[in-house]
Amino acid sequence: MALKKDRRTLDPVTFEVLKNAYVNIVDQMAEQILRTCYSFVIYSRDFSSALCDPKGDTIMQGSGDIAAHVGTLHLTAKAVIKKFGDDVHPGDVFVINDVYQGGTHFNDTRLFAPMFYKGELLGFAQANGHWADVGGAVPGSFNVNALDHMAEGLRITPVRVYSKGVYLSDVAELIAHNTRAPKDIIGDLQAQSEACRLAEREVQRLCDKYGVETIKKSFNEVQDYVEDMTRQRISELPDGTWETIDYIDVDPDEGEGLVPIKVKMTIDGDRVHYDLTGSHPKSVGSFLNCCYGGAFAAVVAGTKMQSPDIPMNSGFYRVVTVDAGPLGSVVNAEWPTPVAGFASGPFEKIMNAVFELWAEVLPERAMACTFNLDYLLIGGRDTRHEGKPYFMWYDWMVGGWGARNGRDGWAATGPVFGVQLGTQPFEGQERLSPVLTTCHELMVDSGGPGEFRGGLGVQKGGTLYACERTVVSYCCDRERSITWGLWGGLPSIPHGVWINQGQESERYLGSLFSGVPLQQGDTVQRPSAGGGGLGDPLKRDIESVLNDVIEGYVSIGRAKKDYGVVVHEVDADLNEYKLDEQATLAERARIASHRRDWLSEDAEKVAARYRARELDMFDLIRQYGVIVDWGSGELLPKTTAEFREMLKRRTVPYWTAGQSAGATLKVA
Amino acid sequence: MTAEPTDRSMVRVACDVGGTFTDVCVLNEASGKIHVAKTPTTPDPIDGVLKGIEAGGVALRDIILFSHGTTLATNALITRRFPPAIMVTTKGFRDVIEIRRGTRDDLWDTYKEMAAPYLPRRDRLVVTERIDYSGKVISEVNEAEARELARVIRKRKVNNVAICFVNSFVNPENEQRMRDILLEELPGVSISLSSDIMPEIFEHERFNTTVANTVLGPVAGQYGAELESRMQDGGYSGEVLLLHSGGGVMTAKGATKFAARLAASGIAAGAIASRFISELAGYKNSISLDMGGTSTDISLCSDGHLHVTNDWHVEYGYPIRFPSIEVLTIGAGGGSLAWRDKAGALRNGPQSAGSTPGPVCYNHGGTEPTNCDANVFLGRLGTKLAGGKVELDIKLAEGAINRVIAEPFGMDTEEAALSILKVANANMADAVRLVSLRKGYDPRDFALVAFGGAGALHGVALARDLYIPVVLIPPNPGVTSALGCLLVDITHDITQMYTDTVSDIDMTELNNAFRVLEEDGRDRLLSEDISPDRMLFQRYIDMRYLGQWRSMSIPVSADITNLDEAVKQFHEEHGREHNYSRPDAPVEVCRIQVKATGLNRKAELAKHELRKAPLPAPIGQRMVRFDEAPQRIKTPVYDRSTLHAGAVVEGPAIIDQLDSTIVVPPGIKAEVDEYLIIKMHVPQLS
Repeated sequence: MALKKDRRTLDPVTFEVLKNAYVNIVDQMAEQILRTCYSFVIYSRDFSSALCDPKGDTIMQGSGDIAAHVGTLHLTAKAVIKKFGDDVHPGDVFVINDVYQGGTHFNDTRLFAPMFYKGELLGFAQANGHWADVGGAVPGSFNVNALDHMAEGLRITPVRVYSKGVYLSDVAELIAHNTRAPKDIIGDLQAQSEACRLAEREVQRLCDKYGVETIKKSFNEVQDYVEDMTRQRISELPDGTWETIDYIDVDPDEGEGLVPIKVKMTIDGDRVHYDLTGSHPKSVGSFLNCCYGGAFAAVVAGTKMQSPDIPMNSGFYRVVTVDAGPLGSVVNAEWPTPVAGFASGPFEKIMNAVFELWAEVLPERAMACTFNLDYLLIGGRDTRHEGKPYFMWYDWMVGGWGARNGRDGWAATGPVFGVQLGTQPFEGQERLSPVLTTCHELMVDSGGPGEFRGGLGVQKGGTLYACERTVVSYCCDRERSITWGLWGGLPSIPHGVWINQGQESERYLGSLFSGVPLQQGDTVQRPSAGGGGLGDPLKRDIESVLNDVIEGYVSIGRAKKDYGVVVHEVDADLNEYKLDEQATLAERARIASHRRDWLSEDAEKVAARYRARELDMFDLIRQYGVIVDWGSGELLPKTTAEFREMLKRRTVPYWTAGQSAGATLKVA
Repeated sequence: MTAEPTDRSMVRVACDVGGTFTDVCVLNEASGKIHVAKTPTTPDPIDGVLKGIEAGGVALRDIILFSHGTTLATNALITRRFPPAIMVTTKGFRDVIEIRRGTRDDLWDTYKEMAAPYLPRRDRLVVTERIDYSGKVISEVNEAEARELARVIRKRKVNNVAICFVNSFVNPENEQRMRDILLEELPGVSISLSSDIMPEIFEHERFNTTVANTVLGPVAGQYGAELESRMQDGGYSGEVLLLHSGGGVMTAKGATKFAARLAASGIAAGAIASRFISELAGYKNSISLDMGGTSTDISLCSDGHLHVTNDWHVEYGYPIRFPSIEVLTIGAGGGSLAWRDKAGALRNGPQSAGSTPGPVCYNHGGTEPTNCDANVFLGRLGTKLAGGKVELDIKLAEGAINRVIAEPFGMDTEEAALSILKVANANMADAVRLVSLRKGYDPRDFALVAFGGAGALHGVALARDLYIPVVLIPPNPGVTSALGCLLVDITHDITQMYTDTVSDIDMTELNNAFRVLEEDGRDRLLSEDISPDRMLFQRYIDMRYLGQWRSMSIPVSADITNLDEAVKQFHEEHGREHNYSRPDAPVEVCRIQVKATGLNRKAELAKHELRKAPLPAPIGQRMVRFDEAPQRIKTPVYDRSTLHAGAVVEGPAIIDQLDSTIVVPPGIKAEVDEYLIIKMHVPQLS
């Protein structure tokens, strides 16, 4: 596509200087928030900032933002502008977290302030952060059992918290006192407001230097620039339509069975359009739903990862468009559907599906599925201290990323939802809560097998002591719709929480539950999944498998079962192992000739062998494609049928002797 | 580069070993005169150091003090080239340093790799033991397991072990027990404890600092010992002092124990030199701009204090928590490439032509235009550098600028070259804003110290952009970092966790805790042969609002009776840096620290009498294009070495010296002060 050269009116130097200055301003906002926030969640970088133009379109977003917020900041901006119109004055600050007006979930609260220059409104600064608690029925505001949003937390429609520079303590306190940590919330509200003010001062400085007309022009031209760059990139790609389906584990209203999230992508000339029609037509009976904002953000974030060098602003959305399908579906929820778990639910499914679609278009950047975002919360009274204060052990995992074309996946990395959302120091957690960490370690064999292995997940456990009235809640997914492999690669492992694993009192709680009572002495343990594998695991270089055994990433047992590679221990003290190449050839041939049949073996019999402990979880998932309740071993027949279908689509066609026969997702 | 001949008298020598060059700075004790030498860095860096000293015209026996900045530790970390080591950690926590915090510095690029941990999983062994958050021993070290580990370590013939146990910062008992068992079983093995190296909360940060320190120990120890012995063979009788991250020096012995502090050695030197130069010129506030070929280091000094941070790393994800002078490094330098992106924007960096092929005008095969090419085309940079040893080709530079920038943007060459530099300057100005404005400092209150090979070419333009009123150019801009090595005292930063709200603090207890840290510092200095009259101790309290996660360091005097003054200062600092304070909110102390200093005799630059003498004749003239004039101006070129103290060169002018070129635009006066620092006042254009 030819660039419209006449489109830009600013000279190249001024344009480049201002474009970089806007990135710099947003990064300064981020630094400010990071240093002054109170919520640990925000401190762990669950926040994002942006500059918006007078219409609310984003001029620039930061370089360290959470993926799930990208693509929603302009929506909440427009909601505030729509509400207040001309009633916006220097020194005003507004707040909004409304999921039905572009927000993601209620915790993500956006502070929004106009930027004026000599009385003229130039645009807005927005600072969005995940508040640790916004009220509702459960601490942390992640209420799995919510039937509507009232049970989730405080819905903040656009409201003013500073008027012409005057802090409206009555309003701010009303908000703060509907949460469990009012002091922290006030602290965060002020920190985010100050970050917006900082942006206004910086933009004013630029107006002084370059003239206000230049700045106004640049706000548009920076968006045009991103649009042009994106169009250029898309136009270099082949036209076509591709589609795929990923799954949420279950709709509790409908019994067992996977819940489809369908994503269709069409590249047409210099634009790319996504259509989510065909996804589960109703919201699920849990909070794993998302509104339009969340669905849009997932598409934008997944697409953006294909072009990491393009800066983010509303110019991108002129090229990348989304039809979320009929209102009321799992990906386009309507009022008052609960959506607090949007990121663990539809968001990450859409994003991984987008990766899969792009693997067809840009195979050199292909990536298999990545582990699922999780949040675990243990809350109760801490009897270590006088007065037995409330404690909240609020924890999330890093995990394995999908294997890539030519490379293994990353181990122990933040979720696709936002890779800056890192793990918390457990020495800090132990001071704050009566939970003794029992392990925080890579999970052996958790990387999905493939010619290129998925990155390893992590396991973490904690034992309760000195506590009362303690409950545990968990928000995750993919205990059944297990993190999948690509192009013949195999899945990793299920997510899910175990109580007292390996002991008499062992209980399996699954990947989505709320308010389960715990006793002192109970140990709560869970893994994060590894990434899915990419390519046929029987084609993995045997030296790489040997190295994985030496490093302790893959066990000797699974090296044989997953890769057909036979390794013998020589001297474990010295990390000495050796390959048995003869046995490996035989084992690989044996697996190659049986593995299709294993996927059609009687699922009920396979489940019975799992219950009898003849087969383990890895065998069921990777060899037989059988999904059971991991605690009881009870077969989930419908889920298994769908999971096997998925394997037959994503994996089996690539097991042919010839290279890259495979299948295609292309539909037109 | 050659040195001027030295008088036969005692000298102090500082040496900064960089990736490409080894810089040597020689201070004559009697005359106070400084001269410099530059030699290529050699595969064994000690060869280069000795050659550099020789090139400086100095005999080893005449050196009374030798200090040294080196990238040795940084390189060893990046290349993972160090002797084998083992990490012993708490069972269940084998992978803390591999899990990291799980974050990445690049959010969007799924094909960008992360650095691997400094010790791979196979070299991390576990033992049953546990201490809780309060320091209570929940599980003692399992002795049978510990002895079994000793057997494995012996079998692997590893001599270097790091012991990193959970919560050891509250109670080091289990780590010490583990050490004792290993020492019984494996006499002579070198062992570091995380509770000893970095007794602070947060497992990954403590473990990784300890591991980095452990693996570098033998590297630094061997290097220090070899350097010391080779220098002593040549007649040097003093100690070898190595510059560390905190801006002080350590003896070679100290470097063995705190080797990871060397990993920011080179960077600290420039910041220190910049502070020295600005103070000599009469400025307590300064921003340093050390601009080299591929990157620029920026640091800030306010009221004579360099900012210190605990938040740094050599590779992302692997923090080293020793205090370090805060330096922002950006990928912009003389060799940064100018390019046009697909959506038609004029970009500058972060890619660089590096030293090979280098800028186009060097004629070593470079094809893409750099800042250096723009400078040479505009006449700001001469075609002969380093006293004529290097010749630059303007025609080649012009061709590249035309092809890559001028033609696609429809500009003439001159406008294209100007545009390249404007974008480069704006990028650097943004970085300066991050370290200054961002922290509540107003650049108008600062002097800009511009050095490095390219700093003096860009200094005035940057100052204009940032409203900085004065630019200072040190006497030898290209070797200023080496000068920094000459200026430092022996320092140790000793910290301890100390968590309590201000209102609950028992002052006697607090003062006692400080005294314990000071004793530790005194011991460390004594072991380095520092006499008590040369010791200084400064106390700091790290504070934050109760509930916040980041803290600020507040200096306090010895044995204070209350914290009122410190808390007041905390509110003020918070207000300055973050634009708001909460005087009514409770304040918490989270850490205390002591900086223990062993004073070295201070270096001084020779002072010259300011003379009103006529300017020496220019050594040439050329047509130069400045930002301040619409066309090229005939511009005289002076040789800096001929400019006397008190000389005033009125712009437009170019001042050349061996290692740098100074641009004096029209309307600017360059004054040579009594220390031969060049000072340029920069009036703001309206």
